[in-house]
Amino acid sequence: MSKYTEDDLKIELENKEYEYGFYTDIESDTFPVGLNEDIVRAISKKKEEPEWMTDWRIEAFRAWEQMVEPEWANVHYEKPKFQDISYYSAPLKKAKYESLDEVDPELLETFKKLGISIDEQKMLSGVAVDIVMDSVSVATTFKKTLAEKGIIFCSISEAIKEHSELVRKYIGSVVPQKDNFYAALNSAVFSDGSFCYIPKGVRCPMELSTYFRINQAGTGQFERTLVIADEGSYVSYLEGCTAPSRDENQLHAAVVELIALDDAEIKYSTVQNWFPGNKEGKGGVYNFVTKRGLCEKNAKISWTQVETGSAVTWKYPSCILKGDNSVGEFYSIAVTNNYQQADTGTKMIHLGKNTKSTIISKGISAGKSQNSYRGLVQISSRADNARNFSQCDSLLMGNNCGAHTFPYIESKNPSAKIEHEATTSKIGEDQVFYCNQRGIPTEKAIALIVNGFSKEVLNKLPMEFAVEAQKLLEISLEGSVG
Amino acid sequence: MLSIKNLHAGIEDKDILKGINLEVKAGEVHAIMGPNGSGKSTLSAVIAGNENYEVTDGSVELDGEDLADLAPEERAHKGVFLSFQYPVEIPGVSVTNFMKTAINESRKAKGQEEMPANEMLKLIREKSELLEIDRKFLSRSLNEGFSGGEKKRNEIFQMAMLEPKLAILDETDSGLDIDALRIVANGVNKLKSENNAIIVITHYQRLLDYIVPDFVHVLYNGKIVKSGGKELAYELEEKGYDWIKAEN
Amino acid sequence: MELKEKLISSFMAFEERVDVDSDLHDVRTEAFKNFENKGFPTKKEEAWKYTSLNTILKNDFSVFPKKENAVEFSEVKKYFIHEIDTYKVVFVDGVFSSFLSSTTHDGLDVCLMSSALTKPKYKMVIDEYFNKVANKEESLTSLNTAFAYEGAYINIPRSKVVEKPIEIINFSTGTEAALLVQPRNLIIVGENAHVQIIERHQSLNDNPVLTNSVTEIFVQKRAIVDYYKIQNDNLEASLIDNTYIAQKEQSNASVHTFSFGGNLTRNNLNFYHQGEHIDSTLKGITIIEGKQHVDHYTLVQHATPNCESHQNYKGIFDDKSTGVFNGKIYVEKEAQKTDAFQQNNNILLSDKASINAKPQLEIFADDVKCSHGCTIGQLDEKAMFYMQSRGIPQKEAKALLMYAFSNEVIESIKIPAMKARITKIIAMKLGVNMGFDL
Repeated sequence: MSKYTEDDLKIELENKEYEYGFYTDIESDTFPVGLNEDIVRAISKKKEEPEWMTDWRIEAFRAWEQMVEPEWANVHYEKPKFQDISYYSAPLKKAKYESLDEVDPELLETFKKLGISIDEQKMLSGVAVDIVMDSVSVATTFKKTLAEKGIIFCSISEAIKEHSELVRKYIGSVVPQKDNFYAALNSAVFSDGSFCYIPKGVRCPMELSTYFRINQAGTGQFERTLVIADEGSYVSYLEGCTAPSRDENQLHAAVVELIALDDAEIKYSTVQNWFPGNKEGKGGVYNFVTKRGLCEKNAKISWTQVETGSAVTWKYPSCILKGDNSVGEFYSIAVTNNYQQADTGTKMIHLGKNTKSTIISKGISAGKSQNSYRGLVQISSRADNARNFSQCDSLLMGNNCGAHTFPYIESKNPSAKIEHEATTSKIGEDQVFYCNQRGIPTEKAIALIVNGFSKEVLNKLPMEFAVEAQKLLEISLEGSVG
Repeated sequence: MLSIKNLHAGIEDKDILKGINLEVKAGEVHAIMGPNGSGKSTLSAVIAGNENYEVTDGSVELDGEDLADLAPEERAHKGVFLSFQYPVEIPGVSVTNFMKTAINESRKAKGQEEMPANEMLKLIREKSELLEIDRKFLSRSLNEGFSGGEKKRNEIFQMAMLEPKLAILDETDSGLDIDALRIVANGVNKLKSENNAIIVITHYQRLLDYIVPDFVHVLYNGKIVKSGGKELAYELEEKGYDWIKAEN
Repeated sequence: MELKEKLISSFMAFEERVDVDSDLHDVRTEAFKNFENKGFPTKKEEAWKYTSLNTILKNDFSVFPKKENAVEFSEVKKYFIHEIDTYKVVFVDGVFSSFLSSTTHDGLDVCLMSSALTKPKYKMVIDEYFNKVANKEESLTSLNTAFAYEGAYINIPRSKVVEKPIEIINFSTGTEAALLVQPRNLIIVGENAHVQIIERHQSLNDNPVLTNSVTEIFVQKRAIVDYYKIQNDNLEASLIDNTYIAQKEQSNASVHTFSFGGNLTRNNLNFYHQGEHIDSTLKGITIIEGKQHVDHYTLVQHATPNCESHQNYKGIFDDKSTGVFNGKIYVEKEAQKTDAFQQNNNILLSDKASINAKPQLEIFADDVKCSHGCTIGQLDEKAMFYMQSRGIPQKEAKALLMYAFSNEVIESIKIPAMKARITKIIAMKLGVNMGFDL
């Protein structure tokens, strides 16, 4: 009988090439490889940074030199050779554009392939976009509209120069320079990233969006994002990532800091689709990211992520619930296929009273991949009436992959309520047959079931991101299903 | 429309169907009755193409075409519909989304365009009214947390949406209270036409008060041992299956 | 002298005493090397993240008791399950007490590890089983292996249903200022055999005791083992219990751990599957207060298809007590159709009590049903109020709720006298004098 089996699907998946694996031929200004204090100073100088910033970087670099790369995560990879990486690469054109006409047509073509058009259409859809290619921010749209509301949305380099006081006050306040190995490295060498400030009481009228792309070979990308929502404000922030396919591994070590002051709310959504390596597990991006948010009184931070790319992912978007009544949320879908490895999850640190956190994590493993959830829920003795609900579900496809859950739960308060649930399952033959009987072919049935499995998280994404994420899920898992 | 000839089938070396012959014409309603373990559900699974069952001899033809080489979804595209005895849960997939996918896949297979959204909505509204289904129900995850009655009603709703040529209702009456049974039967009767056929598989005669069969067949030990009109069902109800067992 | 140093210097003396020519010499030496390299575990190790031995290790433990101590039956009567007839293997300060024991060689062996390790007739069994399922990498297990000499040796032949439960009891008299004891038990349950075992550690006065015990259990095809651990020692006694269970096809093994007493208790409970259709059960009730600390570290290694494991641990923590639950379910690629379930529920009664839980699933097979649930919460205030409004005083209402909370585990105790005993201990622990006929 002609039946499309899961095995057929697997074969198709393995042969499926990375859709975004193109390389943009743009002349770049790239630093020599290697890292030392001079390079750190040079980066700072190149970016015309004030002295305090240079000193801050040097401090981070000195700390980094003393640190060792962490090994506790459930991932195995060849350690990046930090002296073989170039720490700065920028498209060799004027790095800032006032209008689209000035933008290199080839760069525009890149954006088009990425599915991002920085043209009128996108403008109409009401998304302000900042694009970071390799290391430099190349376009920030909608700046004027935002400025009218007092919202600052620009590259971090620009913010360091133009909004020095704000950056100086908050950078490193949630993720200190010495927080961990990669955060220290990032603090020393970060080249660009996005900065966003929402003034008191302002509700940001549109989604703010950043796209990151690693283009140049042998470069690392170390972007730094800082989002500050002042008292009573609201912002929804989107972040998308892609990289061209290359044989060698590319390093991505970003730091994202969110600060939600009293009564503020930040919604931070990520669709990560860095090149995952080819089907033999060669190449791909090492994605070692530190993301953390701080909630003051009554504030709320919500992390939503769809992780389909990268060869190795190491990432725990976290919330420090410092203020009373603050709320932290983490919604995640992590898909691994072929030889991908993901160790991802969250930390919810409950410090204030009546703090609440929700964790919904959906892991989907296929091929020979390993997918781990690692999470910490910590209730301090002062956090009276803290509440947490966690749910971690894993779906396995095929018998060569693994799903792992490592939840850490630490409670020092008797009035806290913590619930944790986890399940692991596979796609049932009976489910597939049921779909078949209704006329739905196996491939489509699997797509349907996977989407259903991920629904609770997909629903948390802003509409247009959700569509993209759904498409990505299908691309990473279901071959030609569209 | 449906022609089953000398059908032998089983599961893991165990023979269950041992030579079934059955002819179903358009516009007819056939009831298949029989004691537990007589092979009723196996027959429906084999017609629908469940690959857990192996056909060892004989054939199943729909409008003269042998179904043997067709995958379950291809049979569905040709108009075979099975109302499951135990409908499967698919978490996170809403009834609406599931139906939309099923209808469009069938259309795609026939080289048709996808059904426009407004047309789809209209169809859903119309058919859900037919089965007295609350609209809220349609946005719930497929069969997840449904009561027994809701699951069966949902099966018939799907039948209404897909408008199959041949519908097989496998123990659709099990787990239904009398009101739900009436609604389901009423739905089925409205869907009945000159151009389609229905096979009702049941253990009890009760459902046949509502869906009146043209023919009744008694399945026992993998064979049809008796056929007759609707009065056969009453006879069975009265005398019990021991009567059949005693004769065979 | 630091304990580790003391152990190093004691090891040679020990080996000379027990016979350097023994076949076990190499096993002991290798184990000791591992301990010497790794030392006592510290909080830096993931497996010991929440439990520190530092304070306890500061005691000046004697490694060997200086003299033999005898205890009168009347002093210890209350620690036996006296309502029922049992086989008894009793040790006082690590030394076998024939006076208190009731062993047998009649159709089954319920006797001593020391004779099993030295007598030629046991050689084949020892070669086949001794130190074969214990984790050779784990430093405390290695330490025990290095000094392994005494403990219970139980060998149940094929198809034997042991009529009476077997009690393994370790008393420490406290005549030493501080004592380290390292019992080593070996239990082999033959094909289709059935046995019930109760294990208890009890110190008889307030001097500190540290017990580092290792028990290896081999459950052959279709055999059934019910194992109960009563941990209700006084507050100066600490226990590290390492239990390793290897199960063959269609066997059924259950371990119930009742942790009420003791200073620091660490239970390393490991199940390894070596055949299909195995059933493993791990259950526990922990009720502690003061500065007590109980750490349950469980592992179920699903290596074969069609096996089940069920874990259910309940914990109630008052005062400044701390609880740890680290439960790992590991499902290997071959272990299709595994059904693994784990549940851990905790209640914190005081501001200063804390609980750390780390339920882990590591799954490499796709057709499995695995789940874990973990809750940390309080007693239901509404239920409390409801009972109080019906005239039940607060203390009793609280006790009733806590008993109900633990009941799922109590219910599965298969020895009625044992169930009654545990219920009584819980009532005492909760400070109420009432029967719980729930």
